[in-house]
Amino acid sequence: MNGSFLLTMIWAVPFITALALLPVDRDDHRRIKIISLTGNALNLLLVISLTFQFIGVSAAHPVADGARLSQFQFTATVPWLQMLHIEYNIGVDAISVLMMLLTAIVIFCGVLASWGVEKQAKEFFVLLNVLVAGVYGVFVSIDLFTFFVFYEIAVLPMYLLIGLWGTGKKEYSAMKLTLMLVAGSAFILAGILALYFESGLNTFDLQQLSQHHFSPEFQHWVFPLIFVGFGVLGALYPFHTWSPDGHASAPTAVSMLHAGVLMKLGGYGCLRVGMYLLPEGANMWMSFFLVLVTINVLYGALGAIKQTDLKYITAYSSVSHCGMVLFGFTAMTFTGIKGGVLQMISHGLMTALFFCLIGMIYGRTHTRTVSEMGGLMKIMPFLSTAYVIVGLAGLGLPGLSGFVAEANVFVGAFANSAPLYRICTVLAVLSIVVTAVYILRAVNGFVGGPVIERFATLTDASPLEKIPVTILLFCLFGMGMLPGWIINLVNEAVHPIYNNLMR
Amino acid sequence: MKLLLPDILLVLLAALILGHDLYKGKVNLTSSAPFHIAWLGLTVIFIVLACLPYNQTALYPGGYQVTGASLLFKQVFVLSALFTVLLSRPYFMPGGNQRGTMKHQSEFLFIILLCTFGMFTVVSATDLLTLFVGMELSAIPLYILSGFYKDDDLSVEASTKYMMMGSISTGLMLFGLSFIYGAAGSVTFAAVAKACAANPGEPLLRLGVLFILAAVGFKLTVFPFHTWAPDVYEGAPSPVTAFISVSSKAVAIAFLLILLYEPLAALHSSLQSVILILAAATMTVGNLGAMKQERLRRFMAYSSIAQAGYIIMALTGDAGNARSSIIFYLFVYAAANYAIFFIMSAIGRDGEEQRSGLQGLGRNNPGLAAILMLTAFSLAGIPPLAGFMGKFFLFAAAAKEGYYAMVIFAALNSTISLYYYLLLVKEAYIIQPQAEVKPLALDNVQAISLFLLTAAMLLAGILPSVSSGILAVAG
Repeated sequence: MNGSFLLTMIWAVPFITALALLPVDRDDHRRIKIISLTGNALNLLLVISLTFQFIGVSAAHPVADGARLSQFQFTATVPWLQMLHIEYNIGVDAISVLMMLLTAIVIFCGVLASWGVEKQAKEFFVLLNVLVAGVYGVFVSIDLFTFFVFYEIAVLPMYLLIGLWGTGKKEYSAMKLTLMLVAGSAFILAGILALYFESGLNTFDLQQLSQHHFSPEFQHWVFPLIFVGFGVLGALYPFHTWSPDGHASAPTAVSMLHAGVLMKLGGYGCLRVGMYLLPEGANMWMSFFLVLVTINVLYGALGAIKQTDLKYITAYSSVSHCGMVLFGFTAMTFTGIKGGVLQMISHGLMTALFFCLIGMIYGRTHTRTVSEMGGLMKIMPFLSTAYVIVGLAGLGLPGLSGFVAEANVFVGAFANSAPLYRICTVLAVLSIVVTAVYILRAVNGFVGGPVIERFATLTDASPLEKIPVTILLFCLFGMGMLPGWIINLVNEAVHPIYNNLMR
Repeated sequence: MKLLLPDILLVLLAALILGHDLYKGKVNLTSSAPFHIAWLGLTVIFIVLACLPYNQTALYPGGYQVTGASLLFKQVFVLSALFTVLLSRPYFMPGGNQRGTMKHQSEFLFIILLCTFGMFTVVSATDLLTLFVGMELSAIPLYILSGFYKDDDLSVEASTKYMMMGSISTGLMLFGLSFIYGAAGSVTFAAVAKACAANPGEPLLRLGVLFILAAVGFKLTVFPFHTWAPDVYEGAPSPVTAFISVSSKAVAIAFLLILLYEPLAALHSSLQSVILILAAATMTVGNLGAMKQERLRRFMAYSSIAQAGYIIMALTGDAGNARSSIIFYLFVYAAANYAIFFIMSAIGRDGEEQRSGLQGLGRNNPGLAAILMLTAFSLAGIPPLAGFMGKFFLFAAAAKEGYYAMVIFAALNSTISLYYYLLLVKEAYIIQPQAEVKPLALDNVQAISLFLLTAAMLLAGILPSVSSGILAVAG
């Protein structure tokens, strides 16, 4: 299939799936779920074929080491609003392809993990599919306007998804999450308009804008706008507060998708729009953001120690791990940025699996408080083993995906010889120890220990539930054992961004 | 004469409806004939308007001018009148609304049409006098309309309050216009423009402009002249509230657009800071006020105050950008507002028009709830709905002049507005009703209107041809 058509298909398929769900009878849950699963399975296949095509194409046209212009493949342009030169402009580079692959895997597993949704299932899957369409749209867009449109489409369904199907203080969390993220996009919108008018090129096209040299004064004030705007979604300290509440309240599939993929849109935007278009601004501001991000990494980890609710623990660890994405970017070294991108993928897989398992465990025990559980290893060995493995990935055990990413991030950050960077790296590395504490404590708390009477009769994962867990575990191991092809792809995509920063 | 056809048809239609009752002699209060004549007539006028050439300008004797932009404004007015007529239907039928049944439908329709003709006059004016007469012709009928529940205290209060405030604003406007006349020595736009360009520092002109801004501020509910709006919106019958919130605002902003970019163009650059401050204050006041409102008409009053803030922000832009973005926004704002009011009229059949009346909508009327959600998102400016495109153009007009701080402020403000629009969504989907709630019943008129409005909100956001058509004519 033609590459650019494939890109359009990839965001259109979930959207069509959502539309196809509309006429289905409200009580026919089985059909609703099957349609949803079919749509996303089809999309997973499309994305996998896109990945193979992309590897083929990029092998044929390697990016030169000194290139400053990101090389997008499968580009296509359709004028949309000619008066403002807004275009539907699509294309992918290695980062976006890998992120789309991540999205496809996570959402496929997410649909399987939400097989148990009984309440207003139709609305749930419609919104979920719309959200996913938005996420894919962001990754294929290289026109800032369409990028922004898709970005908002990806954020807004979250309100109802958490508010209606969530648990705990869901209404508060949903409102907080939506408002904070939309406030972030207010900054992004202003930043995009500033880029558009200041360049004088009358275009929202990322490539053309990247060719234009913005004056340092301009970059100086626009860069923090855009970086903070996207940073809100990437849980940048002190704008991360929506994340623990939001993730803890959200239903399983939504937590998976949100922590696994949506938060990465923040990092992706910081890199693609902020650092790529405004390299001088990035150079000016990075030490400031480095400090914030270091707080992120440490604060998230320390926050997780204090929590007793499994979801809150994972949510805070997400803040810490997403902080590592941005930490890699702010390191301003090639290895650091590469590490950041790898961490996006690794954390996406890891956190999706975390939330998936927690959802399944909660579905059985009806509690998420660690101290109330115990001995689950004997009752549900499959789920417990998986939890232990993903926990180990979280604390960066070699052989699992976390190690590959974190090693790159920290090596990259330490490679920056400025004293501030050295200090911050040392501080951030401490978080690994803290991570080990909270993960092992949680694991010890509910996986080990004596069997609690009232849980003794619970069952292990059903075959249907084993599928998403197995897929995600497989990916965790895959990325940990054979990171070579991913690193090669990422290398090519990071070169131009890095070269741009260093000019 | 072709370009004048809509105006002529409108007057004829008004006369026909009034004449219908006279001819019939003893008035049959429940007759639906005037209603059908009105909506059919307005539809015809809209079709005529849509078929006219938009690239021509014609000046008729007496200084009555028709341009592409004025035709677009007329489209807004006609659509607004049309939807008001459709919206008013259940309020005239026994049992159609909890608050009571309105009487004298023909008069109601006649006044709406007359008011719309006043608005036509404003956008066709080429001198200050015609402009003023048009503004008054569009304002006085509204005082009558807001008191249309003759036995309802709130409605009478609204009417009185509106008239008092309105007459003060009229006074201010006359004052301002006479200063400008004094400085220019003539009332025609051309002469005023010349005088302004020759001597932009003239204090008399500045004073005149300030008075006019204050006067229009009343109609446009600009801070600090917005205080009447919540009470009047609350007291007036819902269709009238809808009409005031769309048409009356549209004509006020048309008035400003005409004055600021034609006769007073030379003063425009010195007014930028005033406009920015007014815009920022207005949107903030509206947004903060709307948060706590339980009653939907009051809620819409504050919401529309905030929307006025976004609209006047675009007045900082150059003529083409300001005009095109504002006209486009008026279309999308009208669509979203009327959609909310149609949903309100459905709630009002059996209950109070309050936010809690939305409870259970997500389960009982999934279609209606989806429309409510889309409308709320459109008002809050969420892509890919029309409201986003509208706000984007408004923001772009200000950003082009370099007012980025204002753009950030406005975008953050629309985040605040998202809070209270989400409260509507929350009420419809998330909050469980205390008692068993019956599904809302929609009649055909309401269902079709809502369908059309929703389609408009979606298409104007997604299809570029809609927006670029409007931008091309006005810009």
